Amino acid sequence: MTRDIFVLVECRDSVVRKASLELLSKGRQIAGKFSSNLYAVLLGSGVKEVADTLNEFADKTIFIESEELKDYGWDTYGSALEQILKKYDPLIVLGTSSMTGRDLFPRVAGRLRAAMISDAVGMDFHEESVKIKKPLFGGKVISWLAPKAGSMAFITFRPNSFAVEKADTNGEVIEENVTVEKDRRMKTTSLEKSGSKKVDLQEADFIICGGRGMKGPEHFASLEEIAGLMGGRVGASRTVVDSKWREYDDQIGKSGKTVSPKLYIGCGISGALHHIMGMDTSKVIVAINKDPNAPIFQYADYGIVEDLFPVLPALKDELKKAREES
Amino acid sequence: MNVLVFIKQVADTEARIIVSSDQRTLEIENKYTVNFFDEFAVEEAIRIKEALKDVQVTVCTYAPARAMEALKTTIAMGADRAFLIDSTNYEPDDPFVVSSVLAGFADKDGFDIILCGRQAMDDENANVGAMIAEFLGIPHVSLLTKLDVIDGGRVRVRSETEGGQKVSEIALPALFTTQKGLNEPRVPLITGVMKAMKIQIPVLDPASIGIPIGPIDCGSSKITILSYELPARRPSVHIIEGASPEEKVKNLVKSLKEDAKVL
Repeated sequence: MTRDIFVLVECRDSVVRKASLELLSKGRQIAGKFSSNLYAVLLGSGVKEVADTLNEFADKTIFIESEELKDYGWDTYGSALEQILKKYDPLIVLGTSSMTGRDLFPRVAGRLRAAMISDAVGMDFHEESVKIKKPLFGGKVISWLAPKAGSMAFITFRPNSFAVEKADTNGEVIEENVTVEKDRRMKTTSLEKSGSKKVDLQEADFIICGGRGMKGPEHFASLEEIAGLMGGRVGASRTVVDSKWREYDDQIGKSGKTVSPKLYIGCGISGALHHIMGMDTSKVIVAINKDPNAPIFQYADYGIVEDLFPVLPALKDELKKAREES
Repeated sequence: MNVLVFIKQVADTEARIIVSSDQRTLEIENKYTVNFFDEFAVEEAIRIKEALKDVQVTVCTYAPARAMEALKTTIAMGADRAFLIDSTNYEPDDPFVVSSVLAGFADKDGFDIILCGRQAMDDENANVGAMIAEFLGIPHVSLLTKLDVIDGGRVRVRSETEGGQKVSEIALPALFTTQKGLNEPRVPLITGVMKAMKIQIPVLDPASIGIPIGPIDCGSSKITILSYELPARRPSVHIIEGASPEEKVKNLVKSLKEDAKVL
C-alpha cells in the first residue's frame, strides 16, 4: 500500500462540486504531511475538460471517460473505482457524504475489505495516520475515530466541513481506460432531474428556513427571493413538510437533511430537538421568532424577537444592500 | 416470497447521553426506539404481504438483548417472525462487521427482498444496506419512495437520486433502503400487541451463523474509537434590539457583516 490520498470528485451539471474541492484542499494537507501524492479521481462522460481544471488542486488527476458513466450507478461507478483503487492502492479514499457518496462508498469499501468511516465533519493527525471527527446522536456527542493500520480507509465528509484552497501546483492529468461493468439485473426506466433548485441544500453556504410560523405555503415566496439573492437555498422544518407546504427534499432535521451552512436563518421555527440536530453545525445561526421563549434562541448566535412578516421584506432589502456593497 | 427486514434499535432523540470522565465510553439513558427509517422498511414489508399471497415477513437485528423490545414492536405491527442475533461479546459497531453478520443471516435464512432504513439515527452512517448487498452479491437501490412487485421475480422502484428521482426495474433477489415518503408506518393494533407479548423471539449466537466475511470478535473492527467529547457550546444568543422591525434587521445585518463576518 502506498501512502497516497485519493479524492473521488463529484460533478453537478459538469461543474465540480464545492464539497469535492473542500476534500481536495484537505487531501492536500494530508498528502503534504505524509510526503505522498494527492490524486483526484473523476468518472463520467465528457469529463476531460473538467479533469484539466483539477490540476490546480491535485498532484495527479485520473479520469475515466465512458458513455456508461454518464449517469451515476453504484455498479458502473463502483466497477471503475474498484479497478483504479486496486491499481494504485492508496492509503485513504475521501468522498462526500452526498447521496452518491453514501450509496457508492460502502459498496466499494465492502468489496475491497476497507475500513469505512462516514458522515464525518473534521480531521486531524494521529500517530502515523489521521483521526476523524464524527458527530453521533444528532450532534449530542462528538467521536474521534482512527482507521486501523493495514487496511485502506474510505472516509466520507459532510459538505461545508473544510475551506477550499487552491494548491500551487500544475498537476498531471492521466486518462485511465477500464472496462466498466454494468449490473444487468437493474434497468433504469426513467430519470427525472428537478432543474429548479440550483444549489444543493447540504452544500449551500446560505440557508433560510421556514417553520410553522410561516403560516402557509404562499409565504415561502419571500424566503425564495432572499435565498435567490444570496445564492442559497430555502429549507423547511418537519411540520412544514408534513403539512405539505414544502417538499421532503427541503426538510432539515434528524429525519431530513443535516446542513452546516455559513449562515442559517430560521424564520418562525420554534427549535424542536429534531430540527436543531439537523442544523446545529451551521457556522452562524440567526433566529427570528415572535416568542422570546422559543427554544431556538438557546442555539442561535443572533436573535430577533419580532413578528416575521414585517421583518422579511426589510431583511431582503438589507441583505441586498450588503450584497451590493461587498 | 420471503421479505427480510433488518432493523436497528437506537437511542431516542430525547435520551440523555453522558460521556465518561476518561472519554472512552458513553452512558446512554435507557430510552430506546426502532430507528425512524427502519419503520418504513417494516411497513413496506407488511404491505407487500397484504398485497400478495404467500409472503413471509422476517425481522432481524444484530444487537444486545435490550433490542428485543424493538423486535416486538415490529411483530405488533404485523411481521411474522423475528430474530435477535446477540452482539454481546462481539464487535457491535463497525459497519463492516455488522453487515457481515446480517449478510450471513440472510444467506442462511433465505430471502427474495431485503429492506432496511436508509440510515441509523444514532450514527447516521448509511453503510449497512449497501454493504450487505455487496457481501451477498445482489443489487441494491437506496432511498426508495415507491415499491411495486411486478411479478414474482421483479420489482419496480422509484427512488431519490442526486437532484431528482429515478424509476428502475430490479431482478430479485435485491436489497432496498427506505425513507420518509415511501409509506406511512402503522400504529400497532391491540391484537398485534397481544401477539407480540406472547411471541418467543429466538436469540442467535453469531457463531452459529456461517459468516461469509472475516472475523467478528471484539477487536476485529477496522476502526479504533479514540475518544468521545461533548460538542463546543455556542455563546448565549445576542438578541438584536431596535425601535422597529426595520431597525432590528438593519442592526442584525450590520452584526452579520462586521462581527460574524459572514456577509
